[in-house]
Amino acid sequence: MAAGSRRGKLAYKILFWFLLISVGPVLVVGYNLVNISQASLRKETLSMQESLAVGFSDTVNKYVMSLKNVIADTAALEDFSSMNAAKQQQYLNRILQVHLAVLELSVANAQGQETLRTGRFLEPNPKLRDVEEEEWFLGAMKRGQYVGHLERFQGLYPALTIAVAIVDPEAQPPRPIGVLEAKVSLNGLSTMLSMEFPPAGKSVAAVVAPDGFLVAHSNLKEVYRPDARLPDDILKIITTQSNEKGGGEISMPDGSRLLGAYSDVRDLNWVVYVQQPIDIANKTAAEMTRQTLTVLGWVVLCILLLSLAVANHITQPVRLLRELADRTGRGQFEGDLSDIPSPTNDEIGDLQQTFLTMRDSLKEKTGELIHAKQELERFTKFLEKRVDARTRELKAAQDELIKKERLAAIGQMASVVGHEIRNPLAVINNSIYFIKTKLGQASAPDPKVAKHIKIIESEILQANGIINEILTYSRQRDLKPERVLVNNWLEELLSVYPFPPHIAVEKRFDPANPAIEIDTAEMQQAVRNLIGNGIEVMPQKGTIHVRTARQADGNVLIEIGDTGPGIPPEVLDKIFAPFFTTKARGTGLGLAVVRKVMDRHRGRVDVESAAARGTIFRLYLPAAWERRR
Amino acid sequence: MPSGKLPKLLIIDDDAHLRESLAEVLELDGFECHQAGAAEAGIETAKKIDPDVVIMDIQLPDSSGFQICQELRKRSKATILIMMTGRFLSAEEKKQGFELGADEYMTKPFDLAELSVRIKQLLSRNKI
Repeated sequence: MAAGSRRGKLAYKILFWFLLISVGPVLVVGYNLVNISQASLRKETLSMQESLAVGFSDTVNKYVMSLKNVIADTAALEDFSSMNAAKQQQYLNRILQVHLAVLELSVANAQGQETLRTGRFLEPNPKLRDVEEEEWFLGAMKRGQYVGHLERFQGLYPALTIAVAIVDPEAQPPRPIGVLEAKVSLNGLSTMLSMEFPPAGKSVAAVVAPDGFLVAHSNLKEVYRPDARLPDDILKIITTQSNEKGGGEISMPDGSRLLGAYSDVRDLNWVVYVQQPIDIANKTAAEMTRQTLTVLGWVVLCILLLSLAVANHITQPVRLLRELADRTGRGQFEGDLSDIPSPTNDEIGDLQQTFLTMRDSLKEKTGELIHAKQELERFTKFLEKRVDARTRELKAAQDELIKKERLAAIGQMASVVGHEIRNPLAVINNSIYFIKTKLGQASAPDPKVAKHIKIIESEILQANGIINEILTYSRQRDLKPERVLVNNWLEELLSVYPFPPHIAVEKRFDPANPAIEIDTAEMQQAVRNLIGNGIEVMPQKGTIHVRTARQADGNVLIEIGDTGPGIPPEVLDKIFAPFFTTKARGTGLGLAVVRKVMDRHRGRVDVESAAARGTIFRLYLPAAWERRR
Repeated sequence: MPSGKLPKLLIIDDDAHLRESLAEVLELDGFECHQAGAAEAGIETAKKIDPDVVIMDIQLPDSSGFQICQELRKRSKATILIMMTGRFLSAEEKKQGFELGADEYMTKPFDLAELSVRIKQLLSRNKI
């Protein structure tokens, strides 16, 4: 699971504390357990070693004592104390026969003279010795018995001298009459030790006298050396102990560590010493440590898995909630809620319930907000459109108003000027009429005066014409539309137009003869102006073309063309402006009137001109609605 | 109107030159011409002389020509009333003028020969 790999911090925190709380003590206990077990194992090993030492010291004591008792029992025999040499010889032979450890036996009288001597390695009838100075003789004579004097018999075996006083059974109080002395081999002890502690093993056991004499050793080879001794370090330790028994760790100069135990041998002042390398004890302890650690490892692993499961169980709903909260934060409400577990009966369950409630409310609110935003956007767009449309309308209206105002101003001025000029013009006209009349009544009128009067009259007419043109252009009047058939209307107009003789007229009318709705007076003025212009630019000879056509877009075209010199391109875009003229005498209103009339008819005018070929004006007028007949 | 007597003509206009030139031209044609420079003076003169023809400007300093026209028509149905104008008159204005009693309109400057003929025509119709 992808989410599992991204376990949250909470899970790790729980895991951490769980481990700290549960594994910590386990580790501490385990550590202590291992330590304790190591110590106790060592102690146990040591005490075992000690008890071995004690047991063996007992064995040594018994061994020696049993031999001593054999000697003492023999010496106490009535037959033996009679000091009958023959009888004594019999007994001694018996002893040698039965007790293999006995090496030599001798009997001495009270004066310290040997009376009898026999031994396994002695030739028959050996030389008798004087022993009154011997320690064993003096000891036995004084205290009844003597055990001591260790030696290397024949330089090899450790041997012990045991002496028992032979007591006169008759005498009151009893008094010693001789000494029975035995030299016994201690090889048996080494054999016993080697059986108990085989030389192949690492444990070593030894019996040692206080002076360092090696009585017995688990390794027989050690004993058979003439100078057999224990190492001085060990010897020093065990001989200086005040207790009867004990043990402990010994550090050897070579760095090795030993576990050593000792026990004093009763009645003999010897010490039994048992040692084994500390590794052996430690090996056991290490094994135990290993096992403990293994168990501990399993425990930790179990706890880890368990706590993982617990942490996961606790944090799973929280994590899901967090993911859900993330999605919610991004405004995604459409997520699948099926992976959200049903609320548990605890704080997390409460949190989940609260969150889901909050989410629902948020979803609702967000929905409302989005809806409101969309509404607002739509409304804004609508408003923008409205504002744009209104702005365009206003702009158009403003343009129209400016144009109208300008035209109105021109009109007003023209009207005033026209009116004001017409009065003096009328006066001049009246006066010249008066003069003409008066002259006409005279007998012989001067022909030059008459000619000038004609000039004045002509100029008055022209001035009046200009005034009329200006006033016509600036006049504010309502259109009076009238439905006409374009061909018919034009035909009538052309028929009354005063074309000069040098001008030809060429007509090409559309047979469809479309209907148009026009103010005939104004439209007539426009067409007349165009024809008039055409005639003016062709003073010698030329043709006026008049053509009508129905356009594909439904407009009706009236084309007025001439074969004059054409209009220079640089002035072509100015010709429709009011008061623009290239003529010597002209108001510059002819084409302006054309444009004004076309505007008023919701039509348009354009011009095409080519030098030396002529100019064509095209008037486009909307076609009239088809009238039902 | 007794024959042999010249027809009486009243010209009402604030422009003295126009008045005089017009009067003198028409006198040549055989009219007895009177003049007035304003509406009030014109009406007064008309009361006094009882003109056969009144030629008046539509625009006068103290009144509109139409008002004089209305006033004079009230006084006499026979008087020929001719309106002079320096500007274009709309059809509506013309119609209004005719309803108030105007007989003819003339736009300045006017053809005096035509005017003279037209006045004589109107006068002769009145005689019948």
